[in-house]
Amino acid sequence: MSWLVRLFARKRMETDLDKELRFHFESQVADKVRSGIPENEARRLTRIEFGGLEQIKEDCRESRGTMWVESLAQDIRYGVRQLCKAPGFTSIAILSLTLGIGANTAIFTLLNAILLRPLPVENPKQLLLFGDGRAAGSTQAVPDESWRLFSDAFFHDFRQKNASFSGIAAVDSTQFATKASIAGSAYQTAHVDLVSGSYFSVLGVPAFTGRTIDEADDATPGAGPVAVASFSWFQRHFNGNPSALGKVIRIQTHDYTLVGVAKPGFTGITVGQSTDLWIPLSMEKAFDRPGWNGIGDKLFQSLLLIGRLKPGTTPAQAVAETNLLFQQIIRSYLGPQPSAKHLADLSHASVELTPGGLGISPLRFQYSLPLEILMAIVALVLLIACANIANMLLARGVARTREVAVRMALGASRRRIAVQLLTESALLAFLGAAAGVGLAWKASAMLLNMATPGPDPVPINLEPDFRVLTFTLGVTVITALLFGCLPAFRASGVEFTPALKEGRGVSSASSRGTLARSLIVGQVALSVLLLVVAGLFVRSLIHLYGVDTGFDKHNVLVFALDSSTANLSHGTDEIRSVRLQEQIEDHVKALPGVQSDSFSFFAFHDGGWNDQVLVQGIPRTPANGEPVAFNITGNGFFSAMGIPLLEGRTFNSEDQEHSPKVAVINETMARRFFPNGSPIGHRFSIGEAPDHPGEILVIGVVKDAKYFSLKENSQMAAYFPCTQSPGFFGNFVVRFAPGANPQEIISRTRLAVAAVNSNILVNDVSSLEELVDRSIAQQALIARLTTFFGILAVFLACIGIYGLLSYSVARRTSELGIRLALGAQSRTLLWLVLRESILLLALGLAIGIPIALSSTRILATLLYQLSPLDPAAIVIAIVTVTLMTLAAAWLPALRATRIDPLQALRTE
Amino acid sequence: MKKADEKFDLPQGTLDLLIMRVVALGPIHGYAIAQRIQQMSRDALQVQQGSLYPALHRLEYKKFLAARWKPSETGREAKFYELTATGRAHLKAETESWSRLTDVVGLILKGTLEGI
Repeated sequence: MSWLVRLFARKRMETDLDKELRFHFESQVADKVRSGIPENEARRLTRIEFGGLEQIKEDCRESRGTMWVESLAQDIRYGVRQLCKAPGFTSIAILSLTLGIGANTAIFTLLNAILLRPLPVENPKQLLLFGDGRAAGSTQAVPDESWRLFSDAFFHDFRQKNASFSGIAAVDSTQFATKASIAGSAYQTAHVDLVSGSYFSVLGVPAFTGRTIDEADDATPGAGPVAVASFSWFQRHFNGNPSALGKVIRIQTHDYTLVGVAKPGFTGITVGQSTDLWIPLSMEKAFDRPGWNGIGDKLFQSLLLIGRLKPGTTPAQAVAETNLLFQQIIRSYLGPQPSAKHLADLSHASVELTPGGLGISPLRFQYSLPLEILMAIVALVLLIACANIANMLLARGVARTREVAVRMALGASRRRIAVQLLTESALLAFLGAAAGVGLAWKASAMLLNMATPGPDPVPINLEPDFRVLTFTLGVTVITALLFGCLPAFRASGVEFTPALKEGRGVSSASSRGTLARSLIVGQVALSVLLLVVAGLFVRSLIHLYGVDTGFDKHNVLVFALDSSTANLSHGTDEIRSVRLQEQIEDHVKALPGVQSDSFSFFAFHDGGWNDQVLVQGIPRTPANGEPVAFNITGNGFFSAMGIPLLEGRTFNSEDQEHSPKVAVINETMARRFFPNGSPIGHRFSIGEAPDHPGEILVIGVVKDAKYFSLKENSQMAAYFPCTQSPGFFGNFVVRFAPGANPQEIISRTRLAVAAVNSNILVNDVSSLEELVDRSIAQQALIARLTTFFGILAVFLACIGIYGLLSYSVARRTSELGIRLALGAQSRTLLWLVLRESILLLALGLAIGIPIALSSTRILATLLYQLSPLDPAAIVIAIVTVTLMTLAAAWLPALRATRIDPLQALRTE
Repeated sequence: MKKADEKFDLPQGTLDLLIMRVVALGPIHGYAIAQRIQQMSRDALQVQQGSLYPALHRLEYKKFLAARWKPSETGREAKFYELTATGRAHLKAETESWSRLTDVVGLILKGTLEGI
């Protein structure tokens, strides 16, 4: 009989069993009567011979072998009834589990998506990335360290010569967020990757429909004006209609034929970036990028390489061969007579091969430590929740001693009782987990948006996958065992005779007390730890908010403009872009409410461009040899950003294309190069060994302003006018009068831009304040989350303390009544109860603070100008825990003083 | 009631064998099985209900026995057990292995005595 049938036929089997045993009993009685024993006596004797009827039944059930199914179903039904009977306990337990398991699942979902999940490619373990993937952009230098980017020439030469890889794929390290138009329709943003012809075959990503990019498309420059779409882009724009194949897609100013769609789920090798269209590297020239010469220059390094290891080749062999070939190939690029410096740099250079199966992710470098710390924090919160529930279960266990004793007397084994109580715990855990998974699904997306704010959400797939569900299941089971085991074993160890007599579990109450108290001490210790962590992050965040940015972030809008569809060619004609910018600047400046405006290469926290400079007549020192951050700006930049001029002048209409080259430098640069005099009138040029020494004249000095991030130290910076480094610079900074309506300014600016050139697209608008906030979004998020979890932890600990003291006051009602009757003062009673909580608090602090002091060191790199042993954070944590603990203890203590002695004496 | 010293402790699994042997004679209910074992062992073996019924249920679960409800000799409905084909095969195999075991044990026990 299958176990399912058994489950449903339980009722019939029970009656059958009963009937069968009853028949035996009656037959035995009848036999005895027949041998001359009176019926009453016969019945009595038979009953003695039979022993425990229920025991026999239980043994019969056991021997069926599928007993567990029946008893499980029975336990679950019983458990549900028990939980329904205590709605207060059940809702608190489920709520804390939902928060605990939900938080764990949410953080793990992010951790999984960013750190753990392999790319949806064939056999991701075989993939090796050249370099550590921590670079994007381009360089023409010969780095004297581990290389991260590679040239097109190197890719082809290496691919031909190596024997370790079955294939190597190349992808341009910069993804284009550019504009695409399908069959002549309006331009829309599209994310485009330039990839080698081997890209799809090496990764093992087949086409969903049509074909992928192949070697023929990438054979010669300009050979393959074709595009492969990602499945989601194909769905969005064509609703999955295969007739899309063959359609012409215009990207910027070139046309491509859509030849295929990649398999669903594949969005490129960068986690946190989603590719819409893939285009062969052979079409690189179609993308206008100033100074970009990827195909022509053998040392122009802009590609990421990822190889598939040949079966049987070990990574160590691959590293050895790769570095040998690398040295040979790069050496051949340095020409017949390479400079000594190049040779020295190359001798220090190497290629590191790192596992590529997880893809590349800038998010990973930024978030792995914070995520791991958060994971630890939510695990501790769950632990505190477990301690709480265990405590409540222990209290319930005492209340249920009688019930347990009765069940044992009726023949239930200790194991059966323990299993039944564990089932109740598991039931709680699973209810909490189910709600937690739902919570986590929403929460992880919300967390991601909070962590990476901005107009476009970071495309990371946060749907719970197999790994996440397994994790949650594991956490749930562990949770149930953690909080369920102790109470279950304790309850099943009940000595049932005294328990039945007393009706109340006095006998086990004192040892339960010790257990409950140690749980509370643990909770207090953990809460202090979490609060110290929260305090550190909050104080670090406050420091960041207090950083002097050097610019005035109020009343400034930053527009991101895109000229890629405006057909403004780079090269000799670039000054046209500058003229266009000047027109836009003039139009917008004339708008009511606008004070000043300017185009610029960078605004803030926007990446950057830096290099060494050489000032005429000043020797290079370690201090002035550091890279200088450069920016290219319009004439109104300093007033629009609110960066004060300290000396000299800023750019004006006389600084033209062919007039002498000028620059404005910042205080730090002035101080490092000219500690004793004015820099105005001095000359410098860019680069380690510049071709035109001293071509740039310093005309002004401005105050330091933050460039890359708020955390940066004093940074040397130089600004050049747009007219002398022409190009279209996408940041347009607009300062408006205090009190002006920013929405109006935005819509008027949009109109003004469109009036000047309707092909210039306004991609998005943010206030400078938002840009500053976004730059510390990670810190703000961590501070908020740790505070939330810290408070949650203390709150849970307080519930525990409140519960314990309420219970102990209730149990001691008669004792307290006698004390009152004998003349004890309310103050004495108050102290009697509070004393207990203060002891627990002191023990908790004594354990928690040393743990906090010894473990916060791992946070050091995440804190801004703050010691991980910051006394203020520690004091705040101690004070918070103390106040909350005392508040939780106050209510039961107060209740103790309000006991009516007469009433109390009567109750017992 | 029997005195305790007249009873045997049955080796493990022997009860199952005895039950199957009795059931092999034809459909029979639990009470009759207990009685038959008692009679056949000339009152040396008295099977307790606490062992008999769990054993019956175990054998039924293992599909060595099948059960059917029908009126007993007294007219009351009783649960009659009978041997299934698997049960019969199992009984045969177990019986053979049992007699081999007792033969061997007996051989050794006897041999030792004669050898002294």
